[in-house]
Amino acid sequence: MDILNHIMAALPLIFSLEVIIAMILGTAVGITVGALPGLSATMGIAVLIPLTFTMEPLVALGMVAGIYNGAMYGGSIPAILLRIPGTPAGIATVFDGYPMAQKGQAPLALKVSLASSAIGSAVSAVALLLLAPPLAAIALKFGPADYFWLALFGMTTIAVLLSNNPAKGLLSTCLGLVVGMVGIDAMTGAERFTFGSMDLLSGINIIVLLTGLFAIPPAIDLAVKRLSEQKEAPIDKKEDRIRWKPFIPVWIKSSIMGVVIGIIPALGGNVAAVLAWNEQRRSDPDNDQYGKGEPKGVAAPECANNADTAATLIPALTLGIPGSAVAAVILGALLVHGLRPGPQLFRDDPEIVFGFMLTMFVTAILMFVIGRFGARAFVHVLKAPTTLLAPMIICLAVVGIYSIHNSMFEVWLMLFFGLLGYGMERLDIPTAPAVLAVILGPMAEESLRRALLISGGSFDYLVKSWISWIIIAMIAMTLIVPLWKRLRRLQPSRGDQE
Amino acid sequence: MKAKMPITLLAAGLLGATGMSSAWADYPERPVTMIVAYSAGGGTDVAARTLAPYIEEHLGQSITVLNKPGAGGEIGFTALAQAEPDGYTFGFINIPNLLAIPIQRDARYAMDDIDPVAQIVYDAGALSVRSDSEIDSLEELVAEAKENPGAVTYGTTGIGSDDHLAVLSFERKAGIKLRHIPFPGAADLRAATLGGHITMASMNMSESVDDMEAGNLRILGQMAKERWENASEVPTFQEQGYDVVMGSHRGIGVPAGLSEEVFATLSSAVEKAVADPEFQEKSLQQGLPIAYQGPAEFEAQLEVLNEELMQLWNDEPWAQTN
Repeated sequence: MDILNHIMAALPLIFSLEVIIAMILGTAVGITVGALPGLSATMGIAVLIPLTFTMEPLVALGMVAGIYNGAMYGGSIPAILLRIPGTPAGIATVFDGYPMAQKGQAPLALKVSLASSAIGSAVSAVALLLLAPPLAAIALKFGPADYFWLALFGMTTIAVLLSNNPAKGLLSTCLGLVVGMVGIDAMTGAERFTFGSMDLLSGINIIVLLTGLFAIPPAIDLAVKRLSEQKEAPIDKKEDRIRWKPFIPVWIKSSIMGVVIGIIPALGGNVAAVLAWNEQRRSDPDNDQYGKGEPKGVAAPECANNADTAATLIPALTLGIPGSAVAAVILGALLVHGLRPGPQLFRDDPEIVFGFMLTMFVTAILMFVIGRFGARAFVHVLKAPTTLLAPMIICLAVVGIYSIHNSMFEVWLMLFFGLLGYGMERLDIPTAPAVLAVILGPMAEESLRRALLISGGSFDYLVKSWISWIIIAMIAMTLIVPLWKRLRRLQPSRGDQE
Repeated sequence: MKAKMPITLLAAGLLGATGMSSAWADYPERPVTMIVAYSAGGGTDVAARTLAPYIEEHLGQSITVLNKPGAGGEIGFTALAQAEPDGYTFGFINIPNLLAIPIQRDARYAMDDIDPVAQIVYDAGALSVRSDSEIDSLEELVAEAKENPGAVTYGTTGIGSDDHLAVLSFERKAGIKLRHIPFPGAADLRAATLGGHITMASMNMSESVDDMEAGNLRILGQMAKERWENASEVPTFQEQGYDVVMGSHRGIGVPAGLSEEVFATLSSAVEKAVADPEFQEKSLQQGLPIAYQGPAEFEAQLEVLNEELMQLWNDEPWAQTN
């Protein structure tokens, strides 16, 4: 009841003109920032913080909420249209979104992505509003051993992506694992693969790798065959009406996954999206269609990565533990306005906290409205002359990467990965396993070593908690069930299964 | 802006050549850059950006904050050390990181390349346990560690961080051995401590005090000479018989070789900015433990600390070198 009172008290505050304008502006900026390769929500908000010094807290926070939600959706736009995920969380959207666009279903894919994102964000915001304190307790239950299993669970996704050519897929995975090892080893302080370069000491930023591998090769492709034969994808106008009913179970499942992963610190929207796509594919009896343009394969990751947004703020606001880089920056924004995150925040400034949480909900709806208008315009990207599009993508990637750390080194590194990615594509080596390995490899390694440090080297510690067992069961299910199914069918059907 | 630069440079060159040093009294005549060696939105960045407008006011010029994060601060510190010593570039320096980096690896800057201007913040280190822990004081902690060597685990924000160095110093002085579990940041460390996955956290006071007030953590001691006013009920290490004074200092530094006039103008602007009641109020809101020290005092403190760290490294290197 207390919570409802606080919500009622905060409601009038967020419907002031300034806050509404801030939310609309924030959402639009967020979608743009998310859609541009190299730029992410973290950066958008970080850049914004100094500008909000003089604003009222809720005006600033409304804008932050808009950017955060908008960017998560925005990342799917180039993922679908150009197979360039705008943010790391958009990588799983490429799997089915781009094939859909190639089949001429770009508007449909964008629509599915938008609706799924908005629903994910809204569910997440409701979870934040109503369940924040009880859910926060889950965040603390996760120990190093559980993180290790979770990272392994994520790695099973890589196994799925290997389907067509395991040798090439593993090559790409190894590349990712090596890239993930670069930098100062967090456990001993030793420098690994830094070649005496100061710029490599803090490792290779995931956005640098992602942008290099995913934004540059398509740009080179566009430039090379500028008289695009297959690029002029037909845009199918007929399929404007879709039946949403089959999506409802996808949304329910993916939202829950997104919220849970959001609550667990150190896991972000990228992990949520990948796991949701994998789970959706696993559970669908018709799973051959995934990776070839299945709309549900767009709905699952987009719903999950948006369901991650407000959920990440649950431990951040209630415990002061930011679960991701974005959440950390948002805590910075709160701090600037004299709001110290943690248990006392809800006690001391309830109307602002609840107001902020409400803006997370309202911007989910705003995102849907703005996205609907925008979608018509976005699709025209496909019609843009490729001679223009290619240099534009490269420019944006360069500017975006430079702005992360004001580092020219990272720009060169990104371009290097771009050439590498182009080479990999020509050789038919998939690039997605490399990116997933960079996200999950260091997490698996560090949490395993941390767990063994705590236990003093005893491996029992890895199977001590019930959370570990649940995740182990999920891993077993993902790996064994398809095998078992295939054995039962005992008929070698179409070539490309797992 | 761009077009004006060469003219200014030319003018500066001419003045330098004719030895008209009094013309430096015009400093600052263009915007000043402040390098922050950590990411935008992080603790150091928020502190720097909170202070910047007040320095602007007293310096009479606008300040551009430039984030140069990476390599634990080394990239930003190197940029600061290599900047032109003309007063148009200064930076936030974090101690002990600034001192520890050249000790533990071949750094691209040396301590002599940077002159300290002022200490702004001193955030003492602290050891905290979950409030349901049986350990109630440093004495009990030491007794427990002596009884079960290596059984007590403590988390820090990483190898070579102030939290880590502080515990190493404490271990030496108490004659005990604890098991170190490094975490990537304060957030992960807090989660692991509150979740009971490790015995104890080595975190700064400002990072621990809210949890103490909420009843989640118990702070065993603060590593300051005097108790911090926001947590006056927590005894210091020295009071409990362990001479450990360590924590995270944030201050302002300039590339070595500034002319005396420019240095004086800058350091007095910084001093006035920190003393500004509005800034004091803002930092109180943010829970920043402000502790101003002028150039001489700050430098002397850094020298003492540097000695201590070098000795620590010689006895027991805290990071693997390769």
